[in-house]
Amino acid sequence: MNKDMKILIVDDFSTMRRIIKNLLRDLGFNNTTEADDGQTALPLLKSGNFDFLVTDWNMPGMDGLTLLKTVRADENLKDMPVLMVTAEAKREQIITAAQAGVNGYIVKPFTAATLKEKIEKIFERIEG
Amino acid sequence: MSAADKASYLTEEYVQRLNELGEALKQGDDEEANRLIGELTTLRESALFLELGKLTREIHESINSFTDDERVVELAQEEIPDAKERLNFIITKTEEAAHKTMSAAERAMDVVDNFVLQANDIQQRWTQFRNREMSKNDFLALSEDMDRFFSTINEESNKVKSEMTDIMMAQDYQDLTGQMIKQVITMVQEVEDKLVRLVAISGANLAPKVKAKDDGSVAHGPQLPTADKAEVATNQGDVDDLLASLGF
Repeated sequence: MNKDMKILIVDDFSTMRRIIKNLLRDLGFNNTTEADDGQTALPLLKSGNFDFLVTDWNMPGMDGLTLLKTVRADENLKDMPVLMVTAEAKREQIITAAQAGVNGYIVKPFTAATLKEKIEKIFERIEG
Repeated sequence: MSAADKASYLTEEYVQRLNELGEALKQGDDEEANRLIGELTTLRESALFLELGKLTREIHESINSFTDDERVVELAQEEIPDAKERLNFIITKTEEAAHKTMSAAERAMDVVDNFVLQANDIQQRWTQFRNREMSKNDFLALSEDMDRFFSTINEESNKVKSEMTDIMMAQDYQDLTGQMIKQVITMVQEVEDKLVRLVAISGANLAPKVKAKDDGSVAHGPQLPTADKAEVATNQGDVDDLLASLGF
């Protein structure tokens, strides 16, 4: 797993973005950028050479599920690993996200250990 | 004229007409009989109208008593906007507290990171010295660095302590926001009572619409810890199990 990979963190709450950014930094990932919803995230993704997307689901503007579907439908972005970090915990929703092609799903509130484990698992699968 | 007077008056009118009708029929006076039947029908209709009028007035009074309720006006014009403001204030306060806490934690972590760096450096050089691999000049530099490190620990530890105090103090939002949330709950309770009364007046026959089935694409926000476990994953373990059962 490349620790210099470029990560985009998408969440409408600045506190949550900050928490995720800090946790990623503790895990050795320093190359992070933030966006506050899908609409601001998409142009960044299209022009920014990102390696990994961490997104919330429930956001104003474009929500995380739509962002995920848009990424999967885009020829240049479709293979990007996507981790969803969200308070959405209904079983139907988790299944929907899985079917839309999410690589990992974390429910809030979460721990640093969970974030580490899921990121490792995602990149083990991709690189393995 | 009271309802009872009206009723007996009506009965008298009926009896009189009926007697006259009997008489007319006996004498074969069809014209008179038809006229009397017509009058009886009119009497019957006016009794119906009276009942209808009474019902209408009752409904009207019920609705008026609801809309004249000053509390409803107060709730709509003052307390609901006020509650919205309180809730927005709570969002601001909790967000401020979260940032204040994180800033203090970040500063404290920087100090600790710096401790670790310096301690590692000194430890390595100390090992060199113990293995007699150090020149006199290097040892003098090491002892100076150690002196400096000890005084840094004293000063910087106080910094960490003050950051921890800031973190504790940042939790003061809980008292304030807790009280505000309680006020909003009381208001919501009252609105609920009023709505229940409104539903009772307007007739509770309206069956609640059957909810559309959740296809999982709509975001619902956080679920309560008391949510139905068959529908909601209550922790990360549940999510992992569900995804694993689907082959993800």
